[in-house]
Formats: sequence, C-alpha cells, structure tokens
Amino acid sequence: MAMTVFRREGSRFLPSIAARPIAAIRSPLSSDQEDGPLGVRSISTQVVRNRMKSVKNIQKITKAMKMVAASKLRAVQGRAENSRGLWHPFTALLGDNPSIDVKKSVVVTLSSDKGLCGGINSTVVKVSRALYKLNAGPEKDVKFVIVGEKAKAIMFRDSKNDISLTVTELNKNPLNYAQVSVLADDILKNVEFDALRIVYNKFHSVVAFLPTVATVLSPEIIEKESEVGGKLGELDSYEIEGGETKGEILQNLAEFQFSCVMFNAVLENACSEMGARMSAMDSSSRNAGEMLDRLTLTYNRTRQASITTELIEIISGASALEAAK
Amino acid sequence: MASTAAVPFWRAAGMTYITYSNICANLVRNCLKEPFKAEALNREKVHFSLSKWAGGKPEKPILRSDTPGV
Repeated sequence: MAMTVFRREGSRFLPSIAARPIAAIRSPLSSDQEDGPLGVRSISTQVVRNRMKSVKNIQKITKAMKMVAASKLRAVQGRAENSRGLWHPFTALLGDNPSIDVKKSVVVTLSSDKGLCGGINSTVVKVSRALYKLNAGPEKDVKFVIVGEKAKAIMFRDSKNDISLTVTELNKNPLNYAQVSVLADDILKNVEFDALRIVYNKFHSVVAFLPTVATVLSPEIIEKESEVGGKLGELDSYEIEGGETKGEILQNLAEFQFSCVMFNAVLENACSEMGARMSAMDSSSRNAGEMLDRLTLTYNRTRQASITTELIEIISGASALEAAK
Repeated sequence: MASTAAVPFWRAAGMTYITYSNICANLVRNCLKEPFKAEALNREKVHFSLSKWAGGKPEKPILRSDTPGV
C-alpha cells in the first residue's frame, strides 16, 4: 500500500525518473495507478469501487430494516385496530370536545424512541406546538408531557420550560394495557389539568398516518359542561346505580377514559412508526440502488478509459520505436 | 351538585380508578391455571423511565419496571 502511494507521488512529480515496479507486485485488478512508459498515470478505480461496496452494504441493511419493520407492523396492527373499540363508548357518552376552552391544558405528545422513521415525529411536534399557541394566553396554562426520545430532543430546544414530564423506554417490552395504565396513572398524579390533549399519529394505512388530537376532560370540567347543556347535559338522564354520586362516577369514567385513549394512542403511534420506518427504508434502498447504478456506470467508464489510455500509450510507443528504426 | 357521599375505600386510600382496576385485573389473572397463567402475567409487564422536569431541567429519571436493572 505504501509503495503504491510512493509510486503515485513519485510519478506525479518526477515523471522521467519513476522507478519501474516489479511485475510480481503489480496486479492489474487491484492497481491504484498503472504506470505506463515514463510513468504516465491513469485514472484510479479504487475509490469508486470502495463507494460501490459501501453503498451495497447500506442497501442490504436498509432492506433488512424494512423487513423487520414490516413484520413488527403486522403484529401491532391487529392490536391497534382492536383497541379502537375501547374508547368508542366514551365518545358516544361524553362527546368529543377538541375546542374546549380551559385554564390548564396538558399536551401529551407521543413519539418514538428510535429514529429512521421518516417524518412522523416532526409532524407530532408541529401539532403540539400549534396546540400550545392555540391554548396559551392570559390565565391559561399549557404544559407538555412528552413520551419518546425523539420528541424530547426536538421540544427541548425551544419549549423546555413548559415540559413537565418525559417518559422514555416505553417500547422496550411489548406494549400492553398494564404498562400504559401505569403511565396514565403517573400522569394523573403528577400533573394538574383541566383538559388533556393527546397528540399522536393515527394509523390509516401503511403509507398514511395523520396526526390526531384526542381530548380528555377532567371530571370537574365535565360537570361544569354538563350544566351548560349539549351532549354532556344528557348525562343527568342516566340512572345511577350502586350508591355512588354522579361526581364520583364521572371521576372514575374520566380516569378510565384517559387510560383507554392513551392505550389506543400508543398502539396507533407504534403502528405509524413501523409503517413510516418501512416506507423510509424502502425509499432508502431504492435510492441506494440508483446510486449503485450510477456508480457502476462511472466505474465502467473509468475502467474503459484507463484501458484505452494504456493501449494508446503502448501503440504510440511501438509506432515511435518503428519510426525511429 | 356533587354531594360528598362516602368515597369508596380505594379512593380514600389514594388510589385512582386505574390502579384499582389494574389490581382487580391482576387478581383475575392469578386465578388462571398454568400455562395460561404465565402467558397472562406476561401481558402485565411494565417498563418505562419517567423523569419530571422543573424549570427546563430534567430531574433524575425514575425507572418504573418489573425487571429493574435489565
């Protein structure tokens, strides 16, 4: 290797006194520099060949990552679609109030821990920031609860004073309801809220994920709203059994609603993450393939050019010798 | 409007409804026989790391896990 470098350097500066290398050391396939007569250089193919090797490796890795993401997606997708049934009764009973005006809102941002999943985390952060702007104002307070490393890194840059909780390593074990409910419990205990807005990517199909906001109200707000009327006002028409008061039932319902909505949101976000990773890795392998094609063309051109140059030198040298005779 | 009737025992003890229902679910899962019991208890594993923030700085993270140190 060092000798090749020396040869290259030598032939660049002192073309007339370049040493002729021993034939055994030179191998035409792996030569960096072919020395023609008088040390004329030809173009190197080594650089292009290295790039081709690394691009091919990248293509293999991204293809493997796509397969892994596809298999994980199949596993989670069924669970996510089944879990949608958990919060339907709540919405039927309590209605959905995304535009409710409350004093303390807490925005729960769901994101992934790992990267290479396309743009889903940045869309979720954008929606969270928009919610912040919508809900902030005099006497109104917005706090963030961030689930996942990626959103934490992005939000840390400009909203770090409004973050109240961050949660990571949620995806280490397969997602289950117990885990999410413990998390919901922690959030309930640590953060004061009038309304919780959960921002996540809802999974529509493998290529379509929409950032969605699910709103869960605290029991006090529900009581206040039920006095105003509308869908919540019909709560009074329900009969309550079992000796509990309406306020208590509302509290239980609100907590359980939060837990169910969180469970569904976490599953849908996981699905979207896998889907986004699949499409990101797919386009990455395709790009790597295109890059490989272009590099192959360059490599062949370079190789043919060097062969042609060598032929020209040999022939011109031979004809010069003949003419001199 | 909401009269303070006797709160259920678990709320008086500081539990939320979620914790209460989780404990009940755990009791139901423990009623199963092996091998279904091990499968069901597998679905209860909890692991995440929580950290509270104060004034823009994260405090020491708390690991809530059934398998600490893993």
